Amino acid sequence: MNNTLIDFVIVSITLLSIGIYGLAVKRNAIRMLFAIEIIINAANLNLISFARFLPHSGGQTLALFSIAIAAAEVAVGLSLIIVAYRMYQNVDIAEFRSLKG
Amino acid sequence: MIEITSTPIVLVIILGIAGVILPIISITQKRSISSNVYGVISLIVLISAIIFVIYQLAFTETLSFSEDVLTIDLIGDLFAISMLLVAIMTTVGSFDFIRKKSHSSVYFSLILLSTIGMILVAYSTDLVMLFVAWELMSIPTYILAGFLKKNPSSNESALKYFLFGALSSAIIIYGISIIYGITGSTNIAEVMSVFSTIDAEMLPLALLAVAMFIAGFGFKMGLVPFHMWLPDTYEGAPPTITALLAAGTKKAGFAAAIRIIIIGTIALNFDWTLALGTIAIMTMTIGNLAAIMQKNLTRMLAYSSIGHAGYILIGLATYPLSTIGLQGSLFHIINHAVMKCAAFIAVTGIIIAIKTTYVEKIKGLGIKMPITALGLTISLLALAGVPPLSGFWSKLMLFGAALDAGSTYSWIYWLAIAGVLNSALSLAYYGWIIRKMYFEGERTIRIKESKSIIAVMIFSIVFIVGVGVYPDPIIQFTEKIIFQLTMALS
Repeated sequence: MNNTLIDFVIVSITLLSIGIYGLAVKRNAIRMLFAIEIIINAANLNLISFARFLPHSGGQTLALFSIAIAAAEVAVGLSLIIVAYRMYQNVDIAEFRSLKG
Repeated sequence: MIEITSTPIVLVIILGIAGVILPIISITQKRSISSNVYGVISLIVLISAIIFVIYQLAFTETLSFSEDVLTIDLIGDLFAISMLLVAIMTTVGSFDFIRKKSHSSVYFSLILLSTIGMILVAYSTDLVMLFVAWELMSIPTYILAGFLKKNPSSNESALKYFLFGALSSAIIIYGISIIYGITGSTNIAEVMSVFSTIDAEMLPLALLAVAMFIAGFGFKMGLVPFHMWLPDTYEGAPPTITALLAAGTKKAGFAAAIRIIIIGTIALNFDWTLALGTIAIMTMTIGNLAAIMQKNLTRMLAYSSIGHAGYILIGLATYPLSTIGLQGSLFHIINHAVMKCAAFIAVTGIIIAIKTTYVEKIKGLGIKMPITALGLTISLLALAGVPPLSGFWSKLMLFGAALDAGSTYSWIYWLAIAGVLNSALSLAYYGWIIRKMYFEGERTIRIKESKSIIAVMIFSIVFIVGVGVYPDPIIQFTEKIIFQLTMALS
């Protein structure tokens, strides 16, 4: 079966929309983190599919970089969420209200 | 090819080695080492780095926008110098703040690693490098913002900062993927040459990509629709780290924005003036109006830092019409880095001594802590743009450029008017702080001030007054930068 470029791009745009929807609606820190991950993976899918239809593979290199960096970012983010959970017994960012004004 | 002795590579090597070695020293040593040792090591490394940059700047010729991943050009040098200045001020200001806390080696090491990221953002001319450097800059600061683990507001600020920061990098990588799809390259010079001959049907996609970059960098710069996280993070994070965020990562956002947005504007031949001008007016007005209502000194400075992002954006908005604007932007970036860093380090001193930052509680600070209060006063007056200080000249250039560009579009006059009105408004709340410090409160005795903070205060007073009295060298340097940039773009 032959996939054309537009198929991949449509999937990627769908993933981007899902990610933005998740960020806009959810208030659970872990769900928001996953929404961000979905956006990053949409970009990765974009990069890899463009690289497939281009004569060189620069996009795949960038996708590898971006996967590795996203992993580091998630490690930091989850550790922050764990500290917050120990403090509040909760990961709902709407409940964190020590700062306002 | 980039040579191994070129500025960014050497900076990465010396800062990176020190940044990796500091935590290793603290793990392998059985007995605990004073945090001052780590601070002094990172201070020596940072000072040697800034001396190296200035030496290279003085003795080598540079070109803008090569085919390489990193390009050693004047704009990168300017940002590298200001980032290293901020890192030095933050490190020195942290000495007394971090003394009683655990994991001080990690603290100083993360500052060094984040500084590498900021410097690489300034030098990178390839989107892959830009993204990697952007993350190298951001990830250490997420941890640093939550460094006070036992403190709920520090953790909350770090979590908010992390969520918005991760979103900003996700948007940036999506923008990069679109640009890569259109042009088939990630090198900014190649992207420019493809963009300048782009098909009419591809233009909306290219505009979408540049808009995604504006949004992504806008989160870090604190432009107005993307500024929600900024006051919370600046208030909750350790005050020294707030200095690093406000003066360092924010300016790195502008470095990336100048590289990409301006170039995207010129290559696409599309007029962003209205969009950027509207964002600039909104940013400075909302920042200053919100600042005037705050009771907390840190939060007030955070909102004022949003307002200053608006002033800097004037130069980017008017760039195709007037080169003085971008010159003023660069000048204001280095000025604002020093002024804001000095103000937040002064806040650190206040927190160490009297444990609170409510403006009502700092009555009589001019007698209690004279040098900290003087440093805070000078930096606040410079932020407001009072004539003999450095902030005045950069604001004059920015508003002058807006008037200059007003001959093309008549609405650009409003940028200058909004800027002047906002400066006057900001003087109101800065004046309120100064009045509380000097003219209220009963007679009190002097508190012992921390020596490291006195050192930062004296440096920043000398810098602000010195640049204010004799601004020519920096203005000439920014003129050379703009000349190089226009040569590269034409």
